[in-house]
Amino acid sequence: MRTFVPSAALLALLLALPAQAAEHVVSQKAKNFSIKRLAVQQGDSVKFINDDPFAHNVFSLSDVKSFDLGSYGQGLAKSVVMDKPGTVEVECAVHPDMKLMIEVKK
Amino acid sequence: MKRLLLAAGWLVLACQAQAQISTAYAQVLTATSQPVMARDGPDAANFRGSLVFLNYCVTCHGPMADGKGRAAKLYTPPPANLRESDKNAAYMRLIIRGGGKAMARSEYMPPWGEELTEEQIGDVIAYLQSVNTRRK
Repeated sequence: MRTFVPSAALLALLLALPAQAAEHVVSQKAKNFSIKRLAVQQGDSVKFINDDPFAHNVFSLSDVKSFDLGSYGQGLAKSVVMDKPGTVEVECAVHPDMKLMIEVKK
Repeated sequence: MKRLLLAAGWLVLACQAQAQISTAYAQVLTATSQPVMARDGPDAANFRGSLVFLNYCVTCHGPMADGKGRAAKLYTPPPANLRESDKNAAYMRLIIRGGGKAMARSEYMPPWGEELTEEQIGDVIAYLQSVNTRRK
């Protein structure tokens, strides 16, 4: 009993805490996103790493999340938080064929 | 005498036909020596530049080059209306090659120097100058 009470209290505390937001990493290489589709939870962040020897750009015009992370060169990374549920289409302004669909789940 | 007149008539008709053929041939030669779109003329550069523009620049600057692309809503100030640009070719080359930040303009204008060739940049400048209303 002496050990049960602290364990129960710890469990209750863990359940009460909000879920930790995850970070998803997407590479930009050979003028492509490393994946075409990504499922994340609301509140998660997506980190875009430029693994090409030239600049990339990441932007979205989706109603759920519209943003432009600007242009950045090799080895650099930028992140964006997916704070609303829905579908976010991500593009690269420099390379129009690059597309990534992110499904943000509630 | 009748035969002589008939032969003379045929001769006149043959000469007229020959003249018409020669005129038509000369017209064909003239037309083909100046193709509709010269391979390396300004029209060709404008055409090639329009393809570059519609592939890379249209997202922000819009299909009419008036700054009303589908991504324009993201930016304040909005993308430049290139139909009314007062910038010369040298300035355009610099901002296209190095991006907006390098020219103390919008940081969201990407540097295109690594993506486009110098010829493509020259072509897109030629196209933008051809649609610029200030130059007309």
